[in-house]
Amino acid sequence: SAAAPRPWRLFGAMCLLRLPRITQPLEKEEEEMAALMGQIELEKSHYSDHEIRKLEEEERLRRRKESLYDDDEAPGKTVIMAQDLEDKWEQKLLRFKAAPRTTDADKNNNRTSLNRKLDSNLMLLVKQKIGNQELWLLPQVEWQPGETLRSTAERAMATFLGDHIQAKILGNAPYGIYKYKFPRAIRTVDNVGAKVFFFKAFLQSSDLSQAELKEDYLWVTKDELGDYLKSEYLKKVNRFLLD
Amino acid sequence: RNYFPCRAQPKKKKKVDVRKEQAQKDRMKKKIRKLEKAAPEMIPIEDFMTQLKYSDSNRVRSLPPLSFEETERRVLLLKKWCLFKQNQDKAEKKAIQSLVEAQQEALQELRLESEELYQAAIRRDEGLFPFERDGPNYTPPLPGYDPPEGKCVDITKVYTQ
Repeated sequence: SAAAPRPWRLFGAMCLLRLPRITQPLEKEEEEMAALMGQIELEKSHYSDHEIRKLEEEERLRRRKESLYDDDEAPGKTVIMAQDLEDKWEQKLLRFKAAPRTTDADKNNNRTSLNRKLDSNLMLLVKQKIGNQELWLLPQVEWQPGETLRSTAERAMATFLGDHIQAKILGNAPYGIYKYKFPRAIRTVDNVGAKVFFFKAFLQSSDLSQAELKEDYLWVTKDELGDYLKSEYLKKVNRFLLD
Repeated sequence: RNYFPCRAQPKKKKKVDVRKEQAQKDRMKKKIRKLEKAAPEMIPIEDFMTQLKYSDSNRVRSLPPLSFEETERRVLLLKKWCLFKQNQDKAEKKAIQSLVEAQQEALQELRLESEELYQAAIRRDEGLFPFERDGPNYTPPLPGYDPPEGKCVDITKVYTQ
């Protein structure tokens, strides 16, 4: 049966999130509490085997010094002391250098790189032409009859990033909606405006070298979204983004 | 020499053997049934049993007693922590609430548009669970890091009931 032409055009947009790779820095209260917990645990604990060994060896050293080399052990027997072991372990730790938590991309503020801000979520923004304006948006594509909205969003992702990205889409249902009416110039009775449905996905592969990014793109955090998105759009997008 | 069957000693032996074997089998079956009926033995939880060597008196740590200022500081810090966690929890709940509201609104609008798309959207996504993710670490992975060789031998005791 012929359906009445709907006045709203449907778009499916994909909010692709790169999940954080490192932990966020602790707040002041969290650090104080962690220190307190460590102290309480130390106070309530008993000595471990290693500590008992250390205490006994210190006692033995002290006795040996006081009684002026009264050796009850055979001289020439090299015994590894617990303190030596501790020093050795400390040295080994100092020799190891971990990767830095702030990367080069952080320092250069290179917003196209995925290696920036490893402790927060990064979202993909692309520059798209809507009407006669070039806007920064979450990648969106118009819905075609015959496909579900989720496949529209997947198609949007594939259009901008190529087919080879691995992303886990969280469910079949949209997370948010942005409704807008076209400017009066192009508005007609059966073409009032557009509804953009947002879907969320987590980026699984961290390597996007195979992605063919044609348009301008950016990876931004939730706080930086305000620099690029318009206020109404931003309001709707912020509703479904957890920090 | 008889060539026709005769009931002599050898045959009796076989009967007795058969009967003895039958009696043995029955005894075994009774034992098995008794063992099965008895309640299964509890598996000891190793974490709950303190070994005797750890209750020695020389193991007790000797530390100076806490000063008054220290106890005060601790109590105030615990109160601050309580407030901090409460605020954090409220913020999380608010965020989840806003998430759910946004989704409901989107689904409502979708329903107004087309029932078919709405039904497709509220269908369960089979491929979503089980969802696995490696948690964030303290530092990002070091490129070209060669971890030291080693073998891990598992010595946990396994109990069967």
